[in-house]
Amino acid sequence: MFSFDPSAHARSVNRRTFLTQSAYGLGGIAFALLQQKLAAAGAAPGKLPPGWNGALREAHFPVRAKRVIFLCMAGGPSQLETFDWKPQLKALDGQPFPESFTKGQQLAQLQNTVLKARGSFTNFARHGHAGIEISELFPHLATVADDLCVVRSMQTEQINHDTAHAFMNTGSIIKGRPSMGSWLLYGLGAETQDLPGFIVLNSQGKYGLQPISARQWSSGVLPSRFQGIQFQSRGDAVHYVGNPDGVCQSTQRLVVEEIKRMNGLLAEERADPEIATRIAQYEMAFKMQSSVPELTDFKNEPQAMLDLYGIKEPGDGSYASNCLLARRLAERGVRMIQLYHRAWDHHGDLEPGMKAGAKEVDQATAALIKDLKQRGMLDDTLILWGGEFGRTPMGQGTGRDHHILGFSVFMAGGGVKAGQVYGATDELGYKAVDRVVSVHDLHATMLALMGVDHRRLNTKFQGLDVRLTGIAGEVVKDLIA
Amino acid sequence: MTVSQRLPFILALLAPAAPLAAAEPKLSFNRDIRPIMSDTCFHCHGFDAKTREAGLRLDLREDALKPTKNGVVPIVPGKPDESEIILRITDALDPMPPDEAHKTLTPKQKELLRRWVAEGAVYEPHWAYAALVRPAVPTVRPIRNPQSEIRNPIDAFVQARLAEKQIAPSPVAAPAALLRRLSLDLTGLPPTPAEVDAFVAASARDPEGAYRAEVDRLLASPHHGERLAVWWLDIARFSDTVGFHGDQNQRIFPYRDYVIGAFNRNLPFDRFTVEQLAGDLLPAPTPAQRVATGYNRLNMMTREGGAQPQEYLAKYGAERVRSVAAAWFGSTFGCAECHDHKFDPIKAKDFYELQSFFADVKQWGVYSDYGYTKNPELAGFNNDFPFPPEIEVDSPYLAARRDRAEAALREQVAALRRPPADPAPFAAWTDSARARLAAAPAGWEFPAPTAAVLRAGKPAGNRTASVAADGTVALGQNLGRQETLRLAFSALAGPVAALRLELPGDPVGDVPFEKAMARGAVTFAAAVRGADGKERKLAFVFADATAKSPRYINGVELHGVTGGWKLPPLRPAEPLAAVWLLREPLALAAGETLQVTLGGDAAKEFRLGVTALGAGRPLEASAAPVIAALHAAAPTDAQRELLLETWRLSAAPEPAAVAAYHRVAAELRDTRRGRAWTMVTEATEPLPVRVLPRGNWQDESGPLVLPATPSFLPGRIESTPEKRLTRLDLARWLMSAENPITARAVANRLWALFFGTGLSAVVDDLGSQGELPSHPELLDWLAVEFREKGWDLRHVIRLIVTSHTYRQESQLRPELRESDPANRLLASQNPRRLEAEFVRDNALFIAGRLDLRDIGGPSAAPYQPDGYYAALQFPDRTYVASGAEAQWRRGVYMHWQRTFLHPMLANFDAPARDECAAQRVVSNTPQQALTLLNDPTFVEAAKLFAVRVHAAAATDAARLTEAFRLALARAPKPAERTALTALLAAQREHYRANVADAQKVLAVGLAPAPAGDPAELAAWTSVARVLLNTHEVITRY
Repeated sequence: MFSFDPSAHARSVNRRTFLTQSAYGLGGIAFALLQQKLAAAGAAPGKLPPGWNGALREAHFPVRAKRVIFLCMAGGPSQLETFDWKPQLKALDGQPFPESFTKGQQLAQLQNTVLKARGSFTNFARHGHAGIEISELFPHLATVADDLCVVRSMQTEQINHDTAHAFMNTGSIIKGRPSMGSWLLYGLGAETQDLPGFIVLNSQGKYGLQPISARQWSSGVLPSRFQGIQFQSRGDAVHYVGNPDGVCQSTQRLVVEEIKRMNGLLAEERADPEIATRIAQYEMAFKMQSSVPELTDFKNEPQAMLDLYGIKEPGDGSYASNCLLARRLAERGVRMIQLYHRAWDHHGDLEPGMKAGAKEVDQATAALIKDLKQRGMLDDTLILWGGEFGRTPMGQGTGRDHHILGFSVFMAGGGVKAGQVYGATDELGYKAVDRVVSVHDLHATMLALMGVDHRRLNTKFQGLDVRLTGIAGEVVKDLIA
Repeated sequence: MTVSQRLPFILALLAPAAPLAAAEPKLSFNRDIRPIMSDTCFHCHGFDAKTREAGLRLDLREDALKPTKNGVVPIVPGKPDESEIILRITDALDPMPPDEAHKTLTPKQKELLRRWVAEGAVYEPHWAYAALVRPAVPTVRPIRNPQSEIRNPIDAFVQARLAEKQIAPSPVAAPAALLRRLSLDLTGLPPTPAEVDAFVAASARDPEGAYRAEVDRLLASPHHGERLAVWWLDIARFSDTVGFHGDQNQRIFPYRDYVIGAFNRNLPFDRFTVEQLAGDLLPAPTPAQRVATGYNRLNMMTREGGAQPQEYLAKYGAERVRSVAAAWFGSTFGCAECHDHKFDPIKAKDFYELQSFFADVKQWGVYSDYGYTKNPELAGFNNDFPFPPEIEVDSPYLAARRDRAEAALREQVAALRRPPADPAPFAAWTDSARARLAAAPAGWEFPAPTAAVLRAGKPAGNRTASVAADGTVALGQNLGRQETLRLAFSALAGPVAALRLELPGDPVGDVPFEKAMARGAVTFAAAVRGADGKERKLAFVFADATAKSPRYINGVELHGVTGGWKLPPLRPAEPLAAVWLLREPLALAAGETLQVTLGGDAAKEFRLGVTALGAGRPLEASAAPVIAALHAAAPTDAQRELLLETWRLSAAPEPAAVAAYHRVAAELRDTRRGRAWTMVTEATEPLPVRVLPRGNWQDESGPLVLPATPSFLPGRIESTPEKRLTRLDLARWLMSAENPITARAVANRLWALFFGTGLSAVVDDLGSQGELPSHPELLDWLAVEFREKGWDLRHVIRLIVTSHTYRQESQLRPELRESDPANRLLASQNPRRLEAEFVRDNALFIAGRLDLRDIGGPSAAPYQPDGYYAALQFPDRTYVASGAEAQWRRGVYMHWQRTFLHPMLANFDAPARDECAAQRVVSNTPQQALTLLNDPTFVEAAKLFAVRVHAAAATDAARLTEAFRLALARAPKPAERTALTALLAAQREHYRANVADAQKVLAVGLAPAPAGDPAELAAWTSVARVLLNTHEVITRY
């Protein structure tokens, strides 16, 4: 018979009190809201598309984006000549920059100098239904304004190139942290059968070059099969993908067959699961030897397509050519495609530098968006365009210094809420003040679009749970359609 | 292996396996409970006060037994039903851990917690931090396999554990397989067929004696030190480049030589530790002890413009804590940079106290002097400069190469001195030289030039240059940035072999080194201008100066002053002069003019001389002995030889001999007198160290701290305001009997070298999130043995490799696949894929081309795909593969570029060494297949292997046997023989029809294409490629 037990009741109440004090209380509520929102968008969490073979057994959220193309504008392009129009800054051009903004803040090369405002040298106009302000340096992007979701309130923590790239790619400046692409490959696997699941392409511009590092696509503490594979602009696209001199394809096939036979004989004698994996990897390697050249051979792309991207010579290692290659990779199921364009570190020569950089990337970036759209792939391809940081509204000689307190990026496709500008910097473009988005937030949001709860994609390293977002990061729900 | 994979396995072990166990043994907190709590409870109920929920902590028994502020008692010993934690973990409505934590307890884990509370909730200190006491060696009678033995206490511990599970150990591996294993493990090299034959024969007579003899031989091999160095260099994060941004070269290879040497001398680990952390603080430190302190300098460094020195010093300091903690504590301190550790009792204060031991290490946050971040000590530093402090030390490798180059140069000189076949040209040259000496007794002629200052190549009208009778050209003021001085000589006394630039006046003064470095170099160019106005540039073979400051390209000091002459900081003893040796002798034809163009802001007076008397070394041109020989009425034999040498070098009657001489001379210069620079620790006034709230270097609100050892370890030592502890104190404390963790961490890592997995599998974290060792008593016994026998690494290694446990077959046992899938009970050995460096070494050794002549030396540059460094800048980088002198050196010597690690190394899981990497992942990828198939290093190895095998025997069958013996220390199996014989036949046919392809295959790599039938050798190359690509070749079984 049921009877009331006062002491049990007291314990139970105390437990509820305990729950509301829990760190998970608040996050839990936010999590539930997000799930509602994503569910309302029509997709159901729980299911991963067939063939996804990563560490995650199920999606935490509905999968909106199946792949990411990260157009990394290395060097840190100026937000003030791209997406963040500041008339008041222009009015202040050449005047002392108000100290109330800058006091006590970290500067890079402007340390110990007199700070003067530098207005944008370009004009802006509103484009698309949403009236997104885009600088006149980017006329092609202006034509796809309604596909863009511009975030003007980005902040990062690192003010120098090397560490800022590390932070943007791995969420940490501690070495050995896996990069975003490695996380995606680890968590979700790749759909591609005969290509790496995470591929990196590099190009360089005329001005503002800064070095980058393979650390930025490293798998860190994750196994090296999750590392980004850098395609080379010279020689073999992938290291060692070409047969040795004097070895024809049929000889190579014979050699690979015999290696398989030898390994098979070994496997008969030894219970070592690594042997079966080795056999499979040789198969994959051999397939790559033909799939990579096929991939990088643009001869089936019509001239109109080359013109759309503005490609002068297919495969010339230019950003435009890499954009077309990115589309071909996306078609083949590569999970993460990262393009670096090294061109944006304009401490000096801002004007020619920005003009050249914009010319190098504007048309091809817009073409990539249009091309994916016409193939019906934009919906599930998440594009991110942006640098490792932005630039100061204060001038530095003929340029601008590094800046971390406010800069702009844009996303497109892949379930983002397009045709909007999110967040804002203050009236001089110094600091993000409205709906600030940290790098961790950006990562959390990107993962959410891929169906992943950033708090639940982790790996053990040195006994600790390591995550892309560390212990921080919130999904920015308003960036999601 | 991840913990998620490991956990079910631990539980499988805990499951009552043997029905014969009479009563279940009591649970152990460390083995059974702590891992569960650490993973699921401590995040909110552990060490970190900031994240602690409901005021409850479960890591301390005292706290866990007290009622909480909500009035419930978390743990009531013996009474699980009254313990709140047991109620909550089974409460479906309001479970612990809460759903949001995404951590769930399995029914088995819940049952373990309940049983532990029922048994009295006994806590134990964390195993790795507990005092280290030698456990008794078990005497349990093992399950004997007729072929198994108990060779030493290792076997007693392992077999006692196996006996509990009623498992017999595996028998000893067959002799050939065993020798291959031992050889690869101790030296990273496979045994030769001869070594295998000898061992097999000796084993038949006396297995134990034969094996121990091999252990002795391999431990005494100088290649043993190279093998262990690969292990330690990961831990020490050794690399050739600084890692941040421009990732410039740093000068550090003598540190690697020190490590190899330390292992080869079996330097006790306590001294090894003290010397690396604090060698500079020892009384009268030896050069080797100072080289060892390069360890403290191996953190990543930056030279990026705009970087703030303070910020980067904070980064360097934090990295040093992480790396020292990982290396010597086997612990993860990283989180404590920002907050108290969640799972281990490591506090933020511990982090900064450890950091402050190193606050005296002289270092610059940004290794340059930028206008916006002044660094006066580094004035003049550009992206090519090294990273001081450094010292110059002897390099045995360079000294050996120097000795060889000197011997070769002596041969060249002997050739230059032999009597000429036709004496007439020599006599004519001598007569002419004597005639010119009459006019210029010192041998140098100083004709008066016409002089003009040019600006951007055009005459600068407002600048005057006066020419004195002795040839001295004086400018009113130093040359500006765009300005050069053009000297023109329309007549010379005769042929010229060398040009000499003198700087009269006092262009140097005594200026600080930094000022001198900030000054531009004197540049020097010469051309002949024809009557038609066309100019022909003159080439120099080498130039040197009486005194100079160093110039660098990406950290490599340039020889001589050929490309520019940077003046010294201090006034030299003799007047400043530099001599440029012409590649070919110069004689002006009618109407021709010699034009010399000088630049640089270092001087304003110049005098140019010329001479017919060249020499091997610039400063020996027209030197006194030659002049004396020319003046001698009856030259001695030595004088005649000197004149012959001078004639041949100056007039170049045999240009090939001159070129050969200079080639060898350049090689000799590259050996740098057998000396090398290396980064070291230099102690300076310690920088203040504060606890940085959330790791923020700009937040100065945290308290200042002084050096102290971690608060959670026994025997803590602390600084006092009167006495600040030093790195030496830290190093000695690490090696003291009070510190329990270092011996455990190192013994565990050594074990992993020989079994693929540590006794505690997470070798880089012995903390509570790590793993309780599979054999805790064995690990403690080994750790005590290591410490008490004088930190003798070789003793521990010998114990391990002579144990039966090590010598077992590596065949995984089908009957244990279920109960012990990861073989943690060690009923057999584990197969282990070779580390990246040894994948390379093994292939080249099999091919007979691995360069084992010298130990140590500068890093080598194996073939690497073109353009791989294209994204590197400051300075721009072009990778130049080593020539034959270093192309086939061992993997341990490969150039380690942190931002772009050699693809072969990266593909085979070598870490970039940005920070301490105590554990390498082992992956199995298509990139590895592509590397072994197509990397020129491996194709060349296959080619050389083919040639070697082909030459070794007369029949295909015998060659194939030899190939397998070389590659795998065994004969081919019939099926392998059949398959490869068929491949060989097909490939012969293919390459006979395509001889051009065969020639291409044989042309891969630097090693000359072999003589012989190309089709035959190319066909064998295909067979060799198959063998070198097999899983068995890259695996140590």
